[in-house]
Amino acid sequence: MFWQQLVNGLTLGSTYSLVALGYTLIMGVLNIINMAHGEVFMFGAFVGLFLVNYLKVNIFVAMAGAMVASALLGILLEMLALRPLRRRAVSDLAPLISTIGVSIFLENLALKIFGPQSQAFPAGALSGVQLQLGPIRITLVQIVILGISFGLMFVLRFWLSKTRVGKAIRTTAESIETANLLGINTNKIILLTVALASALGGIAGVLVGLSINAVEPTMGLSMGLKGLAVLILGGMGNITGAMLGGLILGIAEVFTVAYGASSYRDAVAFGIIILILFIRPQGLFGKRQGGRF
Amino acid sequence: MKKGLTKWFTGMMIGTLLLTTAGCGGGSAPAANSVSEGAGTAKIGVVAYLSGGGAAYGQSQKEGLDLAKDEINALGKVKIELVYEDSRGNNTEAINAVNKLINKDNVVALIGPTLSGEMFASGPIANQSEVPIMGTSTTAEGITDIGEFVFRNALPESSAVPQAVKMAVEKYNLKKVAIMYSSNNDWAVSGYKTMAQALKDNGVEVLATETFADKDTDFSAQLTKISSLKPDAVMVSSLYQEAALVLKKAREIGITVPFVGTNGFNSPELIKIAGQAADGAIVASPWYPGKESEKITKFVTDYKAKYNKVPDQFAAQSYDALYIYASALEKAGSSTDRAKLRDSLATIKDFQGVTGKFAFDEKRNPLMDATVLIVKDGQFTELK
Amino acid sequence: MDIILNQYYLQIVIFVLVNAILGVSIYMTLSTGQLSLGNAGFMSIGAYTCAILTVKAGFPVYLAIPIGGAAASFISLIIGYPALRLTGIYLAIATLGFGEVVRVIILNLKITNGALGISGIPTLGTKISKMLSSFGLSRFGGLTAQQTSNLLVLVVLIFILAFLVFFCTRLNRSRVGRAFASIKADESAAEAMGINTTYYKLLAFALGAFIAGMAGGLSAHLTFFIGPKDFAYHRTVEILSFAVLGGSDLIIGPIVGALLLTMLPELLRSASEYRLMIYGALMVIMMAFRPQGLISEETVRFWKRKLGRRIKQ
Repeated sequence: MFWQQLVNGLTLGSTYSLVALGYTLIMGVLNIINMAHGEVFMFGAFVGLFLVNYLKVNIFVAMAGAMVASALLGILLEMLALRPLRRRAVSDLAPLISTIGVSIFLENLALKIFGPQSQAFPAGALSGVQLQLGPIRITLVQIVILGISFGLMFVLRFWLSKTRVGKAIRTTAESIETANLLGINTNKIILLTVALASALGGIAGVLVGLSINAVEPTMGLSMGLKGLAVLILGGMGNITGAMLGGLILGIAEVFTVAYGASSYRDAVAFGIIILILFIRPQGLFGKRQGGRF
Repeated sequence: MKKGLTKWFTGMMIGTLLLTTAGCGGGSAPAANSVSEGAGTAKIGVVAYLSGGGAAYGQSQKEGLDLAKDEINALGKVKIELVYEDSRGNNTEAINAVNKLINKDNVVALIGPTLSGEMFASGPIANQSEVPIMGTSTTAEGITDIGEFVFRNALPESSAVPQAVKMAVEKYNLKKVAIMYSSNNDWAVSGYKTMAQALKDNGVEVLATETFADKDTDFSAQLTKISSLKPDAVMVSSLYQEAALVLKKAREIGITVPFVGTNGFNSPELIKIAGQAADGAIVASPWYPGKESEKITKFVTDYKAKYNKVPDQFAAQSYDALYIYASALEKAGSSTDRAKLRDSLATIKDFQGVTGKFAFDEKRNPLMDATVLIVKDGQFTELK
Repeated sequence: MDIILNQYYLQIVIFVLVNAILGVSIYMTLSTGQLSLGNAGFMSIGAYTCAILTVKAGFPVYLAIPIGGAAASFISLIIGYPALRLTGIYLAIATLGFGEVVRVIILNLKITNGALGISGIPTLGTKISKMLSSFGLSRFGGLTAQQTSNLLVLVVLIFILAFLVFFCTRLNRSRVGRAFASIKADESAAEAMGINTTYYKLLAFALGAFIAGMAGGLSAHLTFFIGPKDFAYHRTVEILSFAVLGGSDLIIGPIVGALLLTMLPELLRSASEYRLMIYGALMVIMMAFRPQGLISEETVRFWKRKLGRRIKQ
C-alpha cells in the first residue's frame, strides 16, 4: 500500500505543481500573487470541455485551444486589473485585492454561465485507461500530467535562461525601471508573462479536469489555494521550487490520509503555508536575496 | 479636523438613538398583522439556494415548485403565488430572506430553506412571527424542535438510512464495512452518525472511517487504504457530486463491492457523473421515479417536457410540499390566515404525493415509506 | 414609523451594524498598513467561544461576548508574533492560511460539534428583554415582543459601534495612533525613529482580532446557529471589501463600506444572482481608479471646505 500511496501522492502533487507554475511565473516577474489564477485554471478546464464535448475535437487540440483561450483571458486580466495599478504608485496589497476581485467575479460568472453541476469529459478522451506496474496502479492521464509538468518545467527553465525573450523577462523581474532603461518594452514583457502563466493554468485545468473527470465552477478556488501553498512552500518565483513543492504537498496530503487523520487533510496545505512563512519565508528552495528564476 | 469628525459622528449616533427610542415610545400597530384580508391568491414565500455552489439543489426545488404551482392554479381550487428569495446557502442571507418574505411580502407561509443550517438560523424567525415554514430538503436531526410552526416533508436520515443498511446487510451478508463521509457538510455528518448507529444495531464491524470534504476531487488516498482492508461493502455519506467521484475512483482501483449511501446517492446526477461505476450503489429513498404509479409517471413526463431532465428528489419533494400546502390552504379556507393554515397543515393525513403516502407526525416530521434502490446498468431499480 | 419598525428593516440594520463592527476590525490592522485576511478566523474563534459559553456553560451574554473577543485576541497574539515579521502580501497569505486552519480545527473538534455547528443559540434580543424585565421594564407601549427585542439589540449595537468609533478616534490622536500612522507611512523609517514596530503592529493586530471576535460573538447570538461554513474564505473577502469600498484611511470608511455593501444587496434582491459578481468587479474597479476607497482624508477635507463655506454665507 505504501508504494501505491506514494504514487497517489505524486500524481496529486503533479497537478498542484502544474497549477503552481503559473503562480510562480507571475510572482517572479511582477512580484504579485495572482489570486485569480485558480479561476483561470477553471476557465481553461471549461474551454477544454466545451471543445471536446461540442466541437468533438481531439483531446490534444482541446488542450491547445484551452491554452490559447486562457492566454487571452490572462491578457484581459493584465490589461484590466493589473496595468491600471502599475500606472500609479500603490501599495503592493492593491494587486492582491484586485486579483481577489477578479477571482470572485470569474467564479460567479462561471456559475451563472455553466451552472453549478459538475460536468465530465466523455469516456475515451484519454481517461479511463490504466496501467498496472507490479503492485502499483496508475492511469494514463496521471502519467501524462506528470510528464507534461516536468516537461514544462524544463522548457520554462531553458527558455528563461537561454532565449532573448527569457532574458528580457528575467531583467524585468529584477527591476522594471532598469529594464525600461535598457530599452525593453516592459509592458509587453509583462503581458507576455501573464499570458504564458495563464496558458499554463489553462492546460492544467484540462489535465486536472481529465484526471478527476469533473469540471465545475468552484474547482478554481480550492485548487488555487493549493497552488498558493505550493508557491510559498517552494519559494516565490522559483520554478524548480514550484515543481518540487507541488510533489511534496501532494505526498504530504496523501500520507496524512493514509497514516493519519483524513479529516485534517485540508489543514496540511495551510499549515505548511504558515509554518514555511514563519520558519523560512523565502521557501524551501528560495534564496534569501533576489536572483529569481 | 479629527475633532469635528468625532462630533459629527457622535451627533449622528445620538440622532439614531433618539429616532429608535422615539420608535419605542410611538408604538404603532405591528406590521405583522397588516396581511390583507380576503380569499384569493395565497402568497407563499420560497427561500432556496439559487445561486452559488449548491445552486443545483435550489434550482431543482424551484423547478418542482413551479410545475406544481402551474398545475394547482390550473385546477383552480386554490390560487398560489410563489415569491422566491435566494439564500446563497448562507445563514445571514436566509434570515434576511425569511424576514423580507414575512414582513415585506406578507406571505402566508414559507417553503425552504434548502440547507439544514439555514433552517436552524431562519426557522426561529418564522416560528416567532408565527408563520408556517416547511423544509423540503432539511434532513438533519432536530429541525422541527425549533417550534410549532416548523414543518418538513424531507424524510429525516434517521428513518431512511437504517432501512438501506438493513436491506444491504441482509442481502449481501455484510460482516465488515468501511465508511466514508464528507466531514465539512452538516447534513452528511448527520447521515454518517445514523449510518454508524445502524451498522452497530445490525452487528456489522467497521474497519475504517475515512473523511473528505465537499468539493474534494481526489479520493485515491482514502480508497487505496480502504481497498487494502478488503471490506464487504463501503458506506458513503455525502452529496451526489463527491459520491459519484468516490464511486468512479473506487471502481478504477478495483473495489467492486456494493456502496451504500445516504440520500445524496439519490440523484440522476450520480449516474450521469459516475457512469458505469455507479452500478451497485444502494440508497433508500422516498422518491423513486421508476415506481409504477400514474401520479409519478405523469409528474416525470410533465417535468421532462418542461425542463428536459428527469426530476430528482429535490424537485419531487418540493413538488409534493406545494401540494401539501395547497390541500392545507383548501382546508383552512383562507389564503391569508397563518395560524389557521398551521393548524390545518398539522392535521394533513393520507396525502398521496409523488413521494408516496404522506402524513405529519405529532412533531411535524413526515411519516412516509422509503424504497431501497440499487443502481443496475445505469438505472435506479428497486432492491428486492 | 411602520417602516422603521418593520422586522425586516430592523434586521437589516442590525446586520449592517455587525458588519460595520467587522469593518472596524479590519480597519484596525490596516491602520498600521498590515492586511490581515484572518478576520473570518478570529470572528469564528469569538463566535464559537461565546456560543459554547452561553449554550453549554450558561454564561450570561454580556460576559461571553467580551470573553469571545479576548479569546480571539489571545490567539492573535500567539500567531501574530511570528507572523508580523512578515509584511505585505506575505502576512496576508499567512493569515489567510490561518483562517483556513482554524476552520479545519473547528470541523474536527467535539466541543464545536464539527460540521453540524451549534444550533439553538439564545438570541441577544430575548436575553436583553429578560434582563430588562427583571428590572421591571417589560414592554414598551404597543410593540410586539419581537420588535422590542430587535430595537434593544439595535440600541446595544449602536452603543458598541459608537464606542468603537470613539475609541479609535481617541487612539488616533494618542501616541499609539501616531505610531500606527508612521508605521503605515514607512515601516523602516518608523523603526529608525525608534518606534517599536513589532509591538505596535502586534497591538493593532490583537485589537483587530478582539473586535472581530466580538463581532463573531454578536452574530452568533443574532443568527441562532453557527457552523464552520459561515467563516470560510468568502467571509474574509466580504469583510475585506468593506474596507476596499469605503476606504481605510479613516474609521468612517469601512463603516460606510459595510453600510453600502449590506444595504445594496437587499435593495437589489432581484439581482441577487449577480451579487458576488458585483463585489468582485467592485474590488477591481476600486483598486484601479480609487485605491484609497470612497472616503479618504481629502474627501473629508473637501466636503468640510465646501460645507464650511456655505455655513459662512
